[in-house]
Amino acid sequence: MKSVLCLLCAKPVLVGVLALAAGTPGLGAQQSPDPARRGFELERRGNYAEAADAYREALKKKPGDPAALFGLERSLIALDKPADILPEARAAITASPGTGAFYGVALRAWAAADQPDSVRAVAARWAALDSTDETAYREWGAAAISRHDNAEARKAYETARERLRRPDALAGDLAAVLSEQHDWANAVREWATAVAKVNGYRSTAVAALSQAPENARPELLRTLGSQSSPPARWLEADLRARWRDPLGGYQVLSANIPPDRGRAVEAISGFLDQVRDQNGPDARRAQALALVALADRTPGPGGPQLRLEAAQAFADAGDEATAKRLLSGVSTDPATAAGLTSGAATTLVGVLVKEGKVQDAERKLEELKPDLVSEDYLALRRTIAWGWVRAGKPERADAIVAADSSVEGLALAGRLQLFRGRLDSAEALLKLAGPYAGSREEATARTALLAMLQPMQLDSLPALGSALLAVERGDTTHALEQLDNVAESLPADQGASEIRLYAGRLAQSAGRNADAERLFRSAAVPDAKATAPAAQLALAQLLLETGRAKEATALLENMILGFPDSALIPQARRLLDQARGAVPET
Amino acid sequence: MRRRDFVGQALGLLATLGPTSRLLALDLAGAGARGVRPRAGWLLVPMDDAQSDHLKAYGLTYRSVQRGIRAEWLLNYRNGSFLIPADQATPRDAALSGISVEPLDDGAVLQIRAEIQSGNMDAIPLEKAPKVAVYVPPNAPPWDDAVTMALNYAGIQFEKIWDPEVLRDGLRKYDWLHLHHEDFTGQYSKFYLNYAGAPWLLDMVKQNTAMARTLGFATVPEEKKAVARAIAAYLERGGFLFAMCTATETLDLALAGQGVDIATDYADRTPMDPNASAKMHWDLALAFQNARLELNPSVPVFSDIDGHQVNSLDRRQPLGSFTLFNFSAKIDPVATMLVQNHRQVIPDFYGLTTSFTRRTLKSSVTVLADEPGAPWVKYIHGERGQGTWTFFGGHDPEDPQHQIGDPPTDLSLHPHSPGYRLILNNVLFPAAKKKELKT
Repeated sequence: MKSVLCLLCAKPVLVGVLALAAGTPGLGAQQSPDPARRGFELERRGNYAEAADAYREALKKKPGDPAALFGLERSLIALDKPADILPEARAAITASPGTGAFYGVALRAWAAADQPDSVRAVAARWAALDSTDETAYREWGAAAISRHDNAEARKAYETARERLRRPDALAGDLAAVLSEQHDWANAVREWATAVAKVNGYRSTAVAALSQAPENARPELLRTLGSQSSPPARWLEADLRARWRDPLGGYQVLSANIPPDRGRAVEAISGFLDQVRDQNGPDARRAQALALVALADRTPGPGGPQLRLEAAQAFADAGDEATAKRLLSGVSTDPATAAGLTSGAATTLVGVLVKEGKVQDAERKLEELKPDLVSEDYLALRRTIAWGWVRAGKPERADAIVAADSSVEGLALAGRLQLFRGRLDSAEALLKLAGPYAGSREEATARTALLAMLQPMQLDSLPALGSALLAVERGDTTHALEQLDNVAESLPADQGASEIRLYAGRLAQSAGRNADAERLFRSAAVPDAKATAPAAQLALAQLLLETGRAKEATALLENMILGFPDSALIPQARRLLDQARGAVPET
Repeated sequence: MRRRDFVGQALGLLATLGPTSRLLALDLAGAGARGVRPRAGWLLVPMDDAQSDHLKAYGLTYRSVQRGIRAEWLLNYRNGSFLIPADQATPRDAALSGISVEPLDDGAVLQIRAEIQSGNMDAIPLEKAPKVAVYVPPNAPPWDDAVTMALNYAGIQFEKIWDPEVLRDGLRKYDWLHLHHEDFTGQYSKFYLNYAGAPWLLDMVKQNTAMARTLGFATVPEEKKAVARAIAAYLERGGFLFAMCTATETLDLALAGQGVDIATDYADRTPMDPNASAKMHWDLALAFQNARLELNPSVPVFSDIDGHQVNSLDRRQPLGSFTLFNFSAKIDPVATMLVQNHRQVIPDFYGLTTSFTRRTLKSSVTVLADEPGAPWVKYIHGERGQGTWTFFGGHDPEDPQHQIGDPPTDLSLHPHSPGYRLILNNVLFPAAKKKELKT
């Protein structure tokens, strides 16, 4: 919240004064006869006390000298004596009672002296100079905010509305204060007014209102939904996106996109800022729709780039058909830049593989090969290899992998050997691939596989390979059945426990908690000293997640006492703290 | 129980223990069978840097005393270690919680006692686990209580009480009472200044107003003053009080402000008495005197008792660090217990009341920690009637700039927190043998 207010209570930028001072070239180390210039030079060097003296000297000669007065203000602020400027500020106002900026100096000084009555008096005099100007009230409010006096700030803005006879005056400033006070019902109305006048408030309004508690949000959205101004509806769209309804947000946005291209781009871009970093199918779909809308309004090469991004987003959202349609449009669009081809190819191949059209993907890749760098080409080949594996044709993947000597290629080759049940060569290849091939998740999965293979004393186990292939193909039911059978055929300390633990995690990720529990329990046998603690920990985690804290507690106690040297003990203790309620929920 | 069943059960229990605990348990069992004192008959819970979880160590000791074991607090020995006669449950408890314990035999213990005898140390028997109450309203305020977090983390049970229980003499059944973020002047900590429309504040006002009416009071400030008086009476009868943050300053303001309007019109629809400061009955307060109340309703501080004035923009003082005092363990065991720590200089932390200005302290107050050179102190202690009170300024030792809405501190990330040790010293010290507490 503090950052919201700080955006609105910034001190006035004394650009004019600095410009004046900057127009004095070549002062060097000599003392300038002009005390104001001398003050500026001293201030630049950080000699604030001497600078203040110089500025005072200037103001003695000419009390209404703005450069000297603002310079003195800056120097006194640096010296932490902002209120000391009061005599000079009074003199400046006397010398030039029509200069509003001098009242600003006086107002800030009274605020620093913690004299709210004087602040109000100065603000009133200042406002009287121009009955249509909000500035005096804005400064009054800013001074109150700097003293953390939100009530006074609110009073300043409400007084402005009354005196200026404008019910929408200082809406953004008032909205910020109301947000700080958590008065959401009034804050949202003020933000709606503010964005209707100045769309630049939109991101600040989203940041402020997004902190409203969950139970207040439906009412806030209703209030915005009842507004007629498009920016207020865009604000509604942004908040819906922020509050986990990105598609609902896009719906509101699309119904309120103005015909003017510039405004439309502004509206859509603001919404995209809210959804861009979100994941999940709905968010990606909302991103995709917004990107297409933006692409339709973007001439030149920018359009195809946006459509490519949209295609990727549609693919991530599971809408491969739309992704393909967009991609074919991108590749045939004459405005498409050469560099886009690689990105489009990646997305297109990925989409085809996901749809199971692996042959088509392979053919397409060969067509695009001349336009791709070799690294991208090999990476796409590996994607196709995985496509063949998932299609149940790992032998087609072999041919692809044979020509790939990269660490990622070795990792893939290792997995292919594993699917055939060739444990010895699989282990060798996976070890060769090392910990750096692929993403972190892939490296972790590879390490977990190696840990599973290690205790097995067999070179070959086709049944295990078949089970792992079923996992890769997404056939969890079949995979679990096969893994169970394989585990039955092995001694507990020669792989059976490891396989059951792996199967248990697979069952848990598929939501089959009963199976997961059975598998974890059967993996946690005393004979499997290395695996038993991990199995007990996994079981305890499952019990906690399913609301069985008492059982989890007993199990964790058993594990901690039974395996005091296990590397998992710190995690187990942490979980035990959670089970006992010793760790606060955030 | 038949011998066969006993042996079977004992073996079963043995199987659940880890190797170290198993050796210890076998040792105890074997020694018991031979009719001699076990080789490792004691457990030392070190509280110096050898300890892997200082905060949970208090819980371990508390639970052993709760089981009827006569533990001892070795003041100033290895930063306030605990000595517990070895049983089967304590090593198990320690292993589960990751607390470091060192088995000792009689010879080692004798050496320790000799060392204690010859130095500024003492061994205080801990004989009764105090029954703990935490004063907290039923609705959940949007801030966190460092003491309840410490109690939960250490595994020390407590009960929650609020105004109805306090005013109906419900404090009688508790040995130890904790107050934290409560404003006993009835002004809702002046949160109306910055959170006027906040749902939680509106809820708090509604609840407190209804409570005051139900209990027969015209206003919330009057009701809170009555609660303060009840707490003072509990102390007179021998209770132990530990207060932090706003509760420290406002409790005393409420006690001294009997018959004086010390609340703004937001709280009771009448402005503060402009001469309130001159009318206060400081003789009724526990720790403070001659303080000047803040008369300006739009300044979010209570009085000049607080040295740091965190919410007053132009008076706010920066944080430094505070230093624990040393006391004579044999002559002043109470103060010594309260300052046991493995660090002597501790980084300071804000609260609505962060510190206590020296000028406002009564002469009877014992200062336990201060910021050298600063006009305020941090941690103080005193007596009232048969009971004692301790005030510790600040909100959360591991969250120096805590704001409303911040996530609670996860103490598993701060198992060695010296600030939290001071809190837990206060929980355990009422367990000390009564005679030791009357110095």
